[in-house]
Amino acid sequence: MPRSMARLFMVVLGQIALLAGAILIMTPVLYMVSASFMTNDEIFSTRFQILPSNLNWGNYIEVFARFNFMRYLSNSVFVTGAIVFLNLLFSPMIGYSLAKFDYPGKNILMLFILATVMVPFTAILIPLFLIVRGLGWVNTYQGLIVPFAMSAFGVFLMRQFIISVPDDYLDAARIDGAGEFRIYFQIVLPLIQPALITLAIIVFVASWDEFLWVLVATAGDTLRTLPIGLAKFREQYQTRFELMMAGSVIAAAPMVVVFLALQRRFLQGMAGLSGLK
Amino acid sequence: MFGTPQEQSLRHQSFHQRRRGILGNTLEARKKRLGLVFALPAFLFFGAFYLYPLFQTFYVSLFSWGLLDDPKFLGMTNYSRLFTDKEFINSVWVSFLYSFGVVIPIWFIALGLALIFNRTFPGRQAYLTVYYIPAVISLTVWSLIWLLMYNPTFGIFSVAARALGITGLRMLDDPSTAMPAMIILSIWKGTPVYMVIFIAGLRAIPNDYYEAAQIDGANAAQCLLYITLPLLRPVFLYVMVISIIEAFKVFTPMYILTNGGPGSATRVLSMFIFQNGFQYLKMGYASAASVIFLLILLALAIIQFRLLRFQQND
Repeated sequence: MPRSMARLFMVVLGQIALLAGAILIMTPVLYMVSASFMTNDEIFSTRFQILPSNLNWGNYIEVFARFNFMRYLSNSVFVTGAIVFLNLLFSPMIGYSLAKFDYPGKNILMLFILATVMVPFTAILIPLFLIVRGLGWVNTYQGLIVPFAMSAFGVFLMRQFIISVPDDYLDAARIDGAGEFRIYFQIVLPLIQPALITLAIIVFVASWDEFLWVLVATAGDTLRTLPIGLAKFREQYQTRFELMMAGSVIAAAPMVVVFLALQRRFLQGMAGLSGLK
Repeated sequence: MFGTPQEQSLRHQSFHQRRRGILGNTLEARKKRLGLVFALPAFLFFGAFYLYPLFQTFYVSLFSWGLLDDPKFLGMTNYSRLFTDKEFINSVWVSFLYSFGVVIPIWFIALGLALIFNRTFPGRQAYLTVYYIPAVISLTVWSLIWLLMYNPTFGIFSVAARALGITGLRMLDDPSTAMPAMIILSIWKGTPVYMVIFIAGLRAIPNDYYEAAQIDGANAAQCLLYITLPLLRPVFLYVMVISIIEAFKVFTPMYILTNGGPGSATRVLSMFIFQNGFQYLKMGYASAASVIFLLILLALAIIQFRLLRFQQND
């Protein structure tokens, strides 16, 4: 009996600690939501206020009215959508090629792609800008999209999954006379569907948040995505924190929603970054 | 020619195969061609957007170039200037300070949380979800939130300090607190991803080991020390390499919260490269800094691989 009491005590203690941790971790997020409903005076009141006295939906309306928020939002959706689409199109194709075929140059390609995982984006920022500038792509959608059409990590993730597709399936289809492209689209892709969802999530997370490249590769307002839009907003309206937070809630929401909806797959995907299952 | 006609034709075929490589009409050659066709986009893409830029970085670093004028060849002058540039040396130092200030706590906290989440307890999935939330908040948004939290008038830190009788705490305006401010928000945001990676690593350890250890009378601490941690070594290596690269890449929080200041207290390498390249339009100088940046990360990666492989062998 005392032993089970001790265990119960431990469980309760553990729950209290976990709960405290959860509240601590969520504090900044909750503060953002709360501040997005406050008036400017409430935010600036030195008497620290946790909750707004009433829900000021007006902040959200003002965010859309005061700056090009709709534009940033649709730019973000379009650019991110296109990048996710291109990654889904190319990564499995290359992964398939690396996993199931043998040709001259394959090992070099593989080594090189692996090595690019280690290259920080900042280190090639300037030449990349020069290339995009040379192509006349500065301040265009293709300039924001094409440099992210593939990722080394995505290609490797696909390779790892496709390697586990049995060769027998592919050979059986070949014997039955299926064309190679048909094999790819009708056998390989359906078999790795879960991996494709994982890939889509990872690419979405990375591109929704891309900052430095958008900052460098856009000029003026028309092509800015949400992160840059928000940063510029902060420069323009230094003290309108309530609007900043309302905009932040809108910018953060899509990713949180995707995460909550696809939680398990999402976490698996993030853990999959380590190449572990 | 010797041998039967059949042998001859076989020899003939293999000769052709060898000579014609990927051009023949055999299944092997067809498959080779096909593999290349599927890989072609990768050759083009990684060639154009990774390999070429890598060379280009080095090439441009040999010039003085303001983007709008003609490039002037300088040789290695940009590099010798960098090594005497106090701002650059400071940036390297600040990057190291920031990166290790962020990643070392992250390793411990993430591993600790992973060990907790590796057990079963009521509400585990719900807690995991909540603990992961900071990782899915956009970094720009995250930085803006902390801009509020660090505000000297109403920010939570200054308010708490005032409650404790310390007045005038200005986290972002004081060189001695600006860097810790950046580090705190980065640890907060960065930990969950590595926690999840550690959890996956812990899950991959077969239960048999623990069962066998239990039969031998090992306690929890011994299990952790002699089973879990050694078997987690590859995951450690991965987490170390990736977290350090990620930390060195940092840009957004500095851009939003401090713009590298106060003074140069938070001017990390990315900020240095961005400012020199795109604000002062010194393409060559910024490229030289990029090359050094790349070399630093390469050296760090090699050290880590050596370190962990050495441990594995002993």
